[in-house]
Amino acid sequence: MAGNISSDVIRGYNDTMILFLLLDAPSYGYEISKQIRALTEEKYLIKETTLYSAFTRLEKNGYITSFSREAENGKKRTYYEITQYGKSYYREKCEEWQLTKDVIERFVKDL
Amino acid sequence: METIKNYLESMFADLPNTAAVLKAKQELYSMMEDKYTELKEEGKADNEAIGIVISEFGNLDELAETLGIAHAMEQTDTTDRHFVSIQEAEQYMADMAKHHFLIGLGVLLCVISPVGPILGDVFSKAGGAWAIAFFFLSVAAGVGLMVYSSSCMKMWSFLKKFPCSIDYKTAERIYTEQEYHRTDSAMQLTLGIILCVVSVVPAAVMGTLAKNLYLAESIGPAMMFLCVGIGVMLIIVSSGRSSAAKTLLSLNNEETVSGNYESTVTGSEPRFTSANVKGFMNVYWKTVSSIYLIWSFLTFDWGRTWIIWPLAGIAKCVIESIYGKGKEGERHE
Repeated sequence: MAGNISSDVIRGYNDTMILFLLLDAPSYGYEISKQIRALTEEKYLIKETTLYSAFTRLEKNGYITSFSREAENGKKRTYYEITQYGKSYYREKCEEWQLTKDVIERFVKDL
Repeated sequence: METIKNYLESMFADLPNTAAVLKAKQELYSMMEDKYTELKEEGKADNEAIGIVISEFGNLDELAETLGIAHAMEQTDTTDRHFVSIQEAEQYMADMAKHHFLIGLGVLLCVISPVGPILGDVFSKAGGAWAIAFFFLSVAAGVGLMVYSSSCMKMWSFLKKFPCSIDYKTAERIYTEQEYHRTDSAMQLTLGIILCVVSVVPAAVMGTLAKNLYLAESIGPAMMFLCVGIGVMLIIVSSGRSSAAKTLLSLNNEETVSGNYESTVTGSEPRFTSANVKGFMNVYWKTVSSIYLIWSFLTFDWGRTWIIWPLAGIAKCVIESIYGKGKEGERHE
């Protein structure tokens, strides 16, 4: 459950998750939050406000762009699309995580 | 879904009314709506779905930085505002409708007071006393009604004297109420204006057609006063509910999201950049009507004075296009 993950720890990686989900195709808010929940087997639930603030930050930094598109049911949604710049940022974040994982793992043991 | 909308509106109520804040509200609402719809499709009960959506909403503090409202979050509107409940708002609207009716009736009685002397002269010499009595009684009753009604409305003076606030649900209710009566009000206003404009017709027709001089000089003018009286009354009655709605909807702090519920509910409404212009527009048609009546009665040049109506209509469009501002940019591009 979400409660088990400290939000301070995961905050730095919300961007990674969102960019990962945008790699293949543009997507919109709820779709992304649903995919995060499904991929993490409900271990992590991203809050609406967290997601929205991530979108605005990513867009401001030029990692994603947004556009409006009408869904099948006629509802207008804001879709987000990753930029080239966003892709290279994603690679950086992945490398950073590999390094972080490598470092932290050396200090983890069963008690 | 209503509950979710109200929840979101109450969360945003005190935030500044900027494009970024409104966009955030819109986007968050869209996500919540998607989630709610899916939960319902999964077969969840309404309450359960609402509970889940609201519990997973998060915290607005997270948005403070992205929306540039960190400053505003710390010092939200600290004035202690009296909260006007939905019942109070409905009561106020009903009272204002009644108030306008009584004032209208009062005006009608005052306007038709000369009818007594006019007719009294004609029918009998002895009618003089009755005519005078009618004149004074009518004026007294008219003024009495206005004073009585105004003192009844004193209980609502706190709305204008003290800072008050309404929530989104109430704003929506007020708007529905106003919308429900919109056709009636428009009919009353139109009929009122028409009556004022054509009031001179009976007198004119009788003046040219009637062989009986008495008829021409008494019934005609008497009918004119009656027409004008009823016309003015209708004009006053027509604005009761809408002016109550305007007062209520402008209670909230204009610089916050809650101060603009009207545009949220209706989609758009020309808002005025200058407070003076806005105040002027509120009394625009009343001013025009007064000018029309005063001018007409002073000059009795009814054949020409009607020109004020089309001119006023054009002037209103011009003022709105200069000072009005539409919706704040294209929000959801």
